[in-house]
Amino acid sequence: MSYWYKDDKAQSGVIISSRIRLARNLKDLPFPRIMSAEVLSELKTRVKNAVEDITLNGDYRLKYIEMDSVPEAEIASMVERHIISPDFAKNCNGRAIAISDDERICIMIGEEDHIRIQVLLPGASVDEAYSIADDIDTLLNEKLDFAFDNRLGYLTECPTNIGTGLRASMMLHLPVCESKGDINTISDAAGKIGLTVRGMYGEGSKASASLYQLSNQITLGISEKNAIENLKAIAEQIVDREKQNRMQIGSVELEDAVFRALGTLKYARLLSCDELMKLISMIKLGIDEGIMDESDLRPIEILIEAQPATVSKKFSLSGPSERDEKRARVIREILKNCN
Amino acid sequence: MLCEKCGKNPATTHIKTAINGKITELSLCGYCAAEAGYNGFAGSTFSGILASMLGQSLKAGSSVTARRCKCCGSAFADIAEAGKVGCASCYNEFGEELLPYLKRIHGSVHHTGKNPGKNQLIIKEETNTVSELKAKLAALVAAEKYEEAALVRDEIKKLEGKE
Repeated sequence: MSYWYKDDKAQSGVIISSRIRLARNLKDLPFPRIMSAEVLSELKTRVKNAVEDITLNGDYRLKYIEMDSVPEAEIASMVERHIISPDFAKNCNGRAIAISDDERICIMIGEEDHIRIQVLLPGASVDEAYSIADDIDTLLNEKLDFAFDNRLGYLTECPTNIGTGLRASMMLHLPVCESKGDINTISDAAGKIGLTVRGMYGEGSKASASLYQLSNQITLGISEKNAIENLKAIAEQIVDREKQNRMQIGSVELEDAVFRALGTLKYARLLSCDELMKLISMIKLGIDEGIMDESDLRPIEILIEAQPATVSKKFSLSGPSERDEKRARVIREILKNCN
Repeated sequence: MLCEKCGKNPATTHIKTAINGKITELSLCGYCAAEAGYNGFAGSTFSGILASMLGQSLKAGSSVTARRCKCCGSAFADIAEAGKVGCASCYNEFGEELLPYLKRIHGSVHHTGKNPGKNQLIIKEETNTVSELKAKLAALVAAEKYEEAALVRDEIKKLEGKE
């Protein structure tokens, strides 16, 4: 299968992607914050053996990779592609991952917890993502002794993840809610049932391109199923609100904004990542609302591939100015037949 | 209300200071509050908030200061500072201190999700008396859950040894 951001399901609609992350720890080893090099090495050996021993459903095969063998630019690009967390990238010396060919499954070894199982799928697929993550968890648990307590559930390094160890999230494209100043209201409503709204790259990040992550916070006293149902219910309400807001904008204003964005993208000679994201967000809105008939245009794929480290890696570039020029050239080429 | 410093973002941090009896109040947005050095006590992240909550309990209670986790050697002060435990056994060693905070964060201290049905640690509950444990042991044996039953049996032995 293709990378999540190249999939058709990620290109249109309000829900861009769905992600499940399960935090698991081995019961007899100190947690990553205080583990020694010897413990890290023991952890990697055990997880590597377990990963190589299990057979996943479907076509998924996991490849074990030592992070020390991955170039720095590629690590930064992996964060931009949402394959690994920014925290893991910052502190991945001696760490490892097990990853599927299509990058939809990635197990981080030695992040905040010993094991973080992540499944990231395009579109509204949170149930499917959980089902895959749950299978991996069950299979790994046959080979590894996870720290679990009858009363407190899965034990995690940070008490905020204890219980199910589950973080379920959806990435939502909310350009009109954002421009109407609705994000705070949405965020408050989500907070009331234990969900949180963050920027595109998680905690503390900006939502350039009007992309927001909705995810659960509460992990103890709520089952995986209920946490996911809550997430889906709120996501549905947010999607409705975004759609209602879109209907209220005058069509000329919307067309104007979309075609101005297209004009800039078609003719700009320098494009920073931030500017490109804002403009692509408008283009995506234009396609979703039927203003532009450009069904071959792939906004999310463009957006991820335009991220700084990903551009540098793809074209072997060094500085930011070279990147801005290359970004503008690539987008002009993609859009040259757009009217 | 907008931030009193930048006037752009909504004010989310309200700071009240009393210097020589003179009280001043200031409402800032997250960015300006962080710039003014006010992100430390509230913590910008969930674990930051937790660390400051745990720190409070450290000042209030004193019996916990000498104890260390038998498995990883973490003291409660280490856990409070980081807002993170050292290993799975810390939840057992410092259960009494941690449970109220887990309750405050999650609103519950009872897991209701997936149960792998094996490798369970048994966190000491205040209510676990020998007779209750014996009942639990009988139920586990009846259900042929021998691995868990062995753990309960060990705990009974431990409790009976103390008596």
